[in-house]
Amino acid sequence: MLVVQGLWAGYDDVPLVHDVHLAVPGRGATAVLGANGAGKTTLFRAIVGLLRPWRGTVRFDGELLSGHPPHEVVRRGVVYVPAERELFPQLTVAQHLELGAYCAPGLFRSGLERVYTLFPRLAERKNQRASTLSGGEQQMLAIARALMAAPRLLLLDEPSTGLAPRLVAELYRQLGTLLREGVTILLAEQHVQAALHFCQQVYVLKDGRIAYGGPAGALRGDPELYRTYLGQAPGPPAPGGPGHP
Amino acid sequence: MTSIVLDGLVQGLQLALLSVGVVFVYGLGGVLNLAHGQLAVAGGLAVAILRSARWHPLLASTAGVVVAGSLALLLDRTLLRAAYARRGEERLLLGLILTLGVSFALDGFYALGAPNVALTLRMPSPSLEILGVRVRTASLAVGGLSLLTFAVLLAFLRGTRVGQAIRCIIQNEVGAVLCGVDVERVRTLTLFVSGVLAGVAALAQGFSSFLGPEMGTEFTILAVIVAVVGGVRSLTGTFLASLLLGLVNSALSYTVGTYLTWIVLLTVAVLTLLVRPEGLLAYWP
Repeated sequence: MLVVQGLWAGYDDVPLVHDVHLAVPGRGATAVLGANGAGKTTLFRAIVGLLRPWRGTVRFDGELLSGHPPHEVVRRGVVYVPAERELFPQLTVAQHLELGAYCAPGLFRSGLERVYTLFPRLAERKNQRASTLSGGEQQMLAIARALMAAPRLLLLDEPSTGLAPRLVAELYRQLGTLLREGVTILLAEQHVQAALHFCQQVYVLKDGRIAYGGPAGALRGDPELYRTYLGQAPGPPAPGGPGHP
Repeated sequence: MTSIVLDGLVQGLQLALLSVGVVFVYGLGGVLNLAHGQLAVAGGLAVAILRSARWHPLLASTAGVVVAGSLALLLDRTLLRAAYARRGEERLLLGLILTLGVSFALDGFYALGAPNVALTLRMPSPSLEILGVRVRTASLAVGGLSLLTFAVLLAFLRGTRVGQAIRCIIQNEVGAVLCGVDVERVRTLTLFVSGVLAGVAALAQGFSSFLGPEMGTEFTILAVIVAVVGGVRSLTGTFLASLLLGLVNSALSYTVGTYLTWIVLLTVAVLTLLVRPEGLLAYWP
C-alpha cells in the first residue's frame, strides 16, 4: 500500500534518515520502533510531505506522494497524527472534528458518528476547548480529527507517550477497532511491547537506518533477535494480555 | 463632549478598517506588511483618477477597491513568495524588508506619477441633526461603511470553509495543514482581502477628509500601532484598540493638537508592549 524507496531526509545539512526502504501492506498495522532520536518522526514527516525528502520516493497505491504538498497527501487518504498532536487550543472538540472533515465535507455526518462511537468521551466533551482536555483526551481528539478526513492509512507518531498505562490499553483497543474497520496503521512507538503485540510487521530504525524489517512475531519470539535490535531483553509477559505494556 | 466621543468612535472605526488587514496577514503568515498603507493609497488614488474621468462614484469606488486588492495579490504572488519560503524569524525579517522596500517604491511612484491627485468624497449634504445632535454626514458614511465591512468580514470568517480555515491557521498552521488545508492558497486569499480592506479604508479617508499620494507611511504606522495595542492575532482586540485609539486621538486633537497626538499614540503602543506584549486580547473571539 505504502512503499518508501531509498528515502533520505533531514534538517539543514544534517541527514536524520538514511536510505530507508519500507513497505506497508494494506489492512493491518506496521510499527517503526527505535530509540528517541532514531529518526522516526523525521521519517514520518518526510512521508507526508511536511519535510521535503532529499532523495528517494514515497508511493501510495502506486501513485507518487513525494513531491506533493502535505495537504494533498491528506486528500489522497494518508493522514498523520504527530506526537505533538497539533490541536487548536481555542477551538472546541466539535470544531476540531468539523475542520478534520475539511477535505471530506460529504463524509462529515457519518464520520462524526463513527468518531463519537469510538471515543464516547469526546462526545461528552464536544463543547469543551482543546486546551482544557486531559492528555489522553487530547490524543483521542488528535486521532479523531485525523479520522474525520476518512484516511485509508493512518500514521501515528508516539500515540501512547505521556498516557497512563490504563489509557494506553484503552487506546490500543480503539486502534484495534480501526484496524477491523479497514484502516491501515503505521505506528512509531517507544512502547515496544505494546507495538509488538499490536502490529503484524515491524521495522527497527537505528541512527536513521533500517536495522531490522520483518514480522513482529519473529522479534517477539526470539530473545536473541530482540536483544540485537531493541537493546534490552523483553520482560516477562505483562498481565492483562496483548496491548499491555 | 458628545461630538468628541462621536468623532472618536468614527475615527476608531476607520482605523479598524485600516488595521484589520495588517493583523490578518501577520496572524496568518507571519509577515508584517509595511506597504499596507501604500495599498490603501493606491486604491484611493485610483478612485480619484477615475472620478476625474467622470466615472460614476460607485463604479469608481469599486474599481479602486479592486485595484488595492489586486496590488496586494501581485505582492503575494511575486516578492512575498521569497519570504513565505522561509520560516519563523527569517520570514518575519525578510517580510519586513521586502514590504518596506515596496512601500518606498510605491511612495516614489505616487510622488512622480500622481503628485497632485487627491481623493475627496462628498456627501449630498454636509451635516444633519439626529436626536438634537448635529452630525457630519461624512461621519455617518465612514461609520456605516466600516460596520458593514466588518459584518461581511465576520460572516465570511464564521460562515465559510475558508474563513474557518483562516481561524485555524492563525492558531496552529501545522494543525491546519494536517487537516488538508492548502495554507498557501488561503494566505494568498487573505492578502487579497487585506488589500480590499485597505481600499475600503481609503474610501473612508476620502469621506472623512482627503487622501493624498504621500499618506501611505502614515497609514501604515497607524495600522501597526493598532495591531500592537490590540494584539497581532486578535480581530476583537484590533477592533477594541481601534476604538480606544480613535477616542484618544479625537480627545487629544481637540485639547493639545495634532503633533502631540502622534507622540501620545506611539507612547500608548510602547506602554502596551511593556505591560502586555501579546496585546490587549491575545486570541480570536
